[in-house]
Amino acid sequence: MKSTQHLLLILLSGCFLFLGCGSESNSSNESDSKQEVVLGKIAIDNAWARPGSQQGKSAAYLRISNGTASTDTLLSFSSDAAENVELHESIEHDDGTTSMQPAGQQVIPSGEKLRLQPGGLHLMLINLKRDIAVGDSLQISLEFARVGTITAIAPVQIQQ
Amino acid sequence: MSSTLKSLFVSLLIIAGFTACGPDALYDLSGDTYQLRDSDSTQVNFPADFRGDLSLVTFIYTNCPDVCPVITANMTNIQRELDDTTGVNFIEISFDPERDTPSVLKEYRNLYGLNKQFTMLTGDTTTVHPLLDKLDIVAVKTTIDSLGYDSTNYAMRHSNTLYLMDKEGYIRAKYPAHRVTPEHVKDDINYLRSE
Ligand SMILES: [Cu+2]
Repeated sequence: MKSTQHLLLILLSGCFLFLGCGSESNSSNESDSKQEVVLGKIAIDNAWARPGSQQGKSAAYLRISNGTASTDTLLSFSSDAAENVELHESIEHDDGTTSMQPAGQQVIPSGEKLRLQPGGLHLMLINLKRDIAVGDSLQISLEFARVGTITAIAPVQIQQ
Repeated sequence: MSSTLKSLFVSLLIIAGFTACGPDALYDLSGDTYQLRDSDSTQVNFPADFRGDLSLVTFIYTNCPDVCPVITANMTNIQRELDDTTGVNFIEISFDPERDTPSVLKEYRNLYGLNKQFTMLTGDTTTVHPLLDKLDIVAVKTTIDSLGYDSTNYAMRHSNTLYLMDKEGYIRAKYPAHRVTPEHVKDDINYLRSE
C-alpha cells in the first residue's frame, strides 16, 4: 500500500519535472535570445528526509546529477514542509570532533554528481511547518542558475 | 629534592600507574559509579550495573540533525552484525543532559526502534560532565546565526566516539563511532569474549 503511494508520488513528480523543463526551454526559444537552450537535464534522486516535529528541525539528503552540457550552480532551496532551508556541511575537526556550518555555493560541472549525505553536505529544514513522520513525504525544490527550479519528493525515513 | 627521593617518587608513580590500569585499558571505570537515569527514568549506576557484560558505549545528543543519527544507525548495524548478542550492552549517553530528559530519550529510542539491549542514559550535568571529562568526550554548544540558535536552541560540536568496555569496567578499545565497520567491532568483541 505504502510503496504504491510512493511510486505514484515519484511518477507524479517525474511528470512535473518534465512539464517544468518543457515550458522553460519553450520560453527561452521564443523570446530571450541571451538565454541558451539547456541540453540534457539535471536529475535528482535518492531523496529522503529525517523525521522531525513542528517548529523543529530536520535534515534532508539527495543526489544531484548534472546531465547537461554545462556547469550549473545551486542557488537556493525550499520545501513545503519548512519555513527555511539551508545547505549545511558537517565537518570533522583535527581533534576528532564534528560540527556543522553553512556550506558555500555549490557548483556542479557537466557530467558530475553532487551527493548530499549524512555526515557531510545536507539540507537543513528549519522551523518545520508540521510534524513529519516516517511514511510521510515532503517536497524539496532546488533552484539552479541555468536550469531553474527542480522539485523532488523526499520520503521521510530512518537511516539504516 | 635528593636523587633517592626523586627515584622513590618515580617508582611510586609507576606502581600507582600499574595498579590503576588493567590490561591495555584506555580508561579505568572499574572503581567508579555515576548515578544516571535511563529512558524510563530509572536510576542506573554506570558502569556498575553493566559489570559482567561487555558494553559498547557511545555519546550523542538527540537534537543532532545530521551526525548522531549516523552513530545510532551504526550501533544497530553492529548489533545486527553480531551472530550472538548475549552479554553485550549497547549504551548511548547524552552529552546534552539539559535537553535530553528521560522522556526525550524514550522518544528517540522509539523512533529508532532500539530494543531492550539498548540503554539510553542522561543525568544531572554535575554527574554527566565529570564522566564525559574522564572519558575525553568533548561537547561544546555552538550557534549558527541563521538558525536563530540561542541558549535553549543550539547545535553542538562534539566527539564521535565509540568505546568498548570490558566486563570489569575497563575501556579497552576506541573507534570513530560514525565510521567504524561493524565487522571490526565484532572481531574485538569476540576477542574480549575469549579472554
Ligand atoms: Cu545542519
